[in-house]
Amino acid sequence: MILNIFSNMILVIGLFFVFLAMLGLARLPDVYNRLHATTKIGTLGAFGVMLSILLKVGFSPMGVKAMTVALFILVTSPVAAHMISRAAHRHGVGLCKESVIDEYGKACNAACPEPEED
Amino acid sequence: MKRYIAYSAILALVWCFVHGTVNINNFILGLIIAPFVIRPFKTLFNFDKEFSFSNALSKIPAQIKYLYVLIVEIIKANIMVAKIVLQPKIDIKPGIIAVPIDTKTDLGITAIANTITLTPGTLTIDMSDDRCLLYVHAIDATDPEGVAQSIKDDLEKYVLEAFE
Repeated sequence: MILNIFSNMILVIGLFFVFLAMLGLARLPDVYNRLHATTKIGTLGAFGVMLSILLKVGFSPMGVKAMTVALFILVTSPVAAHMISRAAHRHGVGLCKESVIDEYGKACNAACPEPEED
Repeated sequence: MKRYIAYSAILALVWCFVHGTVNINNFILGLIIAPFVIRPFKTLFNFDKEFSFSNALSKIPAQIKYLYVLIVEIIKANIMVAKIVLQPKIDIKPGIIAVPIDTKTDLGITAIANTITLTPGTLTIDMSDDRCLLYVHAIDATDPEGVAQSIKDDLEKYVLEAFE
């Protein structure tokens, strides 16, 4: 009974964080800032949902699988964010106009200067 | 050979968790299948370095400490980004900065890059070719030295303890 209430509470917190991640995806200015929202908040949101499943069903096969899924999300979501942002930068997606510094762009240009457009 | 046994045990445990029931039958089944999974991907595992069980076991306390630091940082990161998202007017100064790292091994660099992504306000984008700089996108990049210093002090020493 008390575990059930606890599980529902964690489910609501997790869903709230998933909602915040989607809000961040819509509101933040460019692809890198959006990835901040989806990787960090999305991870904790999904983790909360999976934890609530574990609390609801206990250590039955379903609960153990939910915990495994949560751990795999925790391990893989930073790698996905890293690859997306790297691909975006290499493809020429610029930073938003509020940005103050871009040392990666400088390093890339130093390694292989872009041909001048005319 | 020792390396095969250690990795097989880890993969067998993962198999138990994916299957959902943790018991001795599943563990032995995973232990039998695991070498056939490890063999094709041998290049991904570091087979050249010397390996010993006692060395691997002695790192476990440091890894638990690292996990604790990681969980605290994840929760802090979520609260920070949630605050930014919920502001009525988004006022951020993002930027990409170069952060020097001391870690040299593949596992250490992977661990620190993923840790940086999960911690407040920073996101790893790439590593320089000579493996001593990480390019990090920070959501507040007005003070590049401060960000680099905080990564070095708060995270890197735990990663060095746990994985090297």
